[in-house]
Amino acid sequence: MIAQRVGTTALRRVAAKPNAFFTADVARMGFLAGSLHKATQTRLVATQKLTPADAHDILNKQRLQRPVSPHLDVYDKQQTWFSGSVWHRFTGMGFSGGLYVFATAYLAAPLLGWHLESASIAAAVGALPLAVKGGLKFIVAWPFVYHCVNGVRHLCFDMAVGFKRKTIVQMSWYIWGASLVSGLYLAFFL
Amino acid sequence: MAALRSSSAARLFGSAASRPAFRLAVAAPVRGFAQLADAAQESQTASGDQKARIKTFQVYRWNPDTPTEKPTMQSYSLDLNKTGPMVLDALIRIKNELDPTLTFRRSCREGICGSCAMNINGTNTLACLCRIPTEVNAEMKIYPLPHTYVVKDLVPDLTQFYKQYKSIKPYLQRDTPSPDGKEYRQSKADRRKLDGLYECILCACCSTSCPSYWWNSEEYLGPAMLLQSYRWLADSRDERTAERKDALNNSMSLYRCHTILNCTRTCPKGLNPGLAIAQIKKEMAF
Amino acid sequence: MASIARSALLRQAASVPKLPAATHAIARSSALRQSIANTVRASAFHTTSRRNLLPPLPQHVDGTVNDAAPIPETSPAHGSYHWTFDRLVSAGLVPLTLAPFAAGSLNPTMDAVLCGLILIHSHTGFQNIIIDYLPTRRVPRTRKAVMWGLNVATVIVGLALYEFETTDVGVTEAIKRVWTA
Repeated sequence: MIAQRVGTTALRRVAAKPNAFFTADVARMGFLAGSLHKATQTRLVATQKLTPADAHDILNKQRLQRPVSPHLDVYDKQQTWFSGSVWHRFTGMGFSGGLYVFATAYLAAPLLGWHLESASIAAAVGALPLAVKGGLKFIVAWPFVYHCVNGVRHLCFDMAVGFKRKTIVQMSWYIWGASLVSGLYLAFFL
Repeated sequence: MAALRSSSAARLFGSAASRPAFRLAVAAPVRGFAQLADAAQESQTASGDQKARIKTFQVYRWNPDTPTEKPTMQSYSLDLNKTGPMVLDALIRIKNELDPTLTFRRSCREGICGSCAMNINGTNTLACLCRIPTEVNAEMKIYPLPHTYVVKDLVPDLTQFYKQYKSIKPYLQRDTPSPDGKEYRQSKADRRKLDGLYECILCACCSTSCPSYWWNSEEYLGPAMLLQSYRWLADSRDERTAERKDALNNSMSLYRCHTILNCTRTCPKGLNPGLAIAQIKKEMAF
Repeated sequence: MASIARSALLRQAASVPKLPAATHAIARSSALRQSIANTVRASAFHTTSRRNLLPPLPQHVDGTVNDAAPIPETSPAHGSYHWTFDRLVSAGLVPLTLAPFAAGSLNPTMDAVLCGLILIHSHTGFQNIIIDYLPTRRVPRTRKAVMWGLNVATVIVGLALYEFETTDVGVTEAIKRVWTA
């Protein structure tokens, strides 16, 4: 292999110089005859030498143009949108956000003349029709149970328990089922 | 057409090997539409021995030579009877016979090099270890690893991934020489702690399945690196455990893990990066 | 031989006019024509959308591949201590959440403890969300502003909860009354 390369370079060198014995015509004849087919390699692309810094610059310019491959749109929906983790965050955000909004409103209520005492809220809720009341209670109860049960699961994870692949998948569905059922129970039977 | 027929003749003899010489002569001008190869052929030899099982593969394409063009999804149809069982076989066949411009990484074709990691039907895995589902109606969707910068088609840039690997010092650090001047010995129990850790081939499937890594890959190390970190934390011969833990003890490197566990569910080698991370957290807790 | 053949093939393919000529050449049967319509479709793909949570920036890599990624400073207060504290609070919330279901409602002290833990739990939860989606590296000012906004909000909510506990009936009792209203 190396010997062949040496031969190639030598031939190229010879071919590049005007030479009485080995002109470009001779090379072409050789090419046609097939005897020098392997030895003379015709390069169609012009190359130039680059310093490492220049090469790095070119690479960095290319990097600026690269697209980011799709992620949330293409990744398995069961793992992204139905996973315990994201709903844990959503439900937690919902409750904490609700708490922050309610608490701020409660503090501002005397100034704005609102009535947010527990008695008046209880009265307002009590006046609602049963279906609406149950629906509202379910909207609160389901995320509450979900966050609690999934929270316990996360505490188990933190103790390095429950990491089998099968367990992970099964548990995430069990938690969906359990939270929906107990959410319904809390909303309509308590 | 002649080339297509000739390769169908080849199939009758139990070989789907391509014939470069034929293809060069005739198939080249119609290369862009060679997706048709199997479909067309099958309409002619439908009465043959086997019924064609044409499956469509949708592949993510982006060409750095035309950077202003948006990435596209390109469809290729292959007859599964003439394709190997794995997704990598299909990709190689597409590249050989249908579209030589399709670009992807591959090397060992047996799940040990980690080159052909990509997102197949929504989950990250190695193309060489992923069987093509036999039902032909469903299209297969093949994307590069999610939320990576695409070099070309299915080739992601993993520079940051490797830089992070370097940052966790993935080598034995030790000052005390071994008592007998020979190798550093380890009990069987200690050695067993490394099982499920040392097998990681750094294919980046788990890291690029992790939403936390998607949003914070500059600072969060990601499941693959944390599994590797734990591999050295758990090694009884390593003497820099404290330093290694200190390097992880900040809000970004380790604690962006929220136990989403996409990593464990996706690992093509059946390892458990989620568990390794939980063990690091547990060891660092008190 | 192979390499020459390959490059010639590539060049030829590049110079070939696109769809019409080639279809003319090969599309003889109607079945074939149909499959052309199916197979040559390439649908546009949107990599960025307005829904994106954290639209990625153009790629930038510091240094070469051989430089390790920088290691952040050690700060257990944001790392291990923070995490452990978080877990203790969460674990403490479990019995306090279950107790009212058994006992009806909590006594004022336990109720105050529950409120305090929920407040801390909410605060650290929001902190985690902010750290995830507003990285200092990208939006340093917004991050700082939002973090301080969260601190202020938490203090206000703390005051409100104190107010509620002292002037009203207490959180668990209030929820019970509203729930059974």
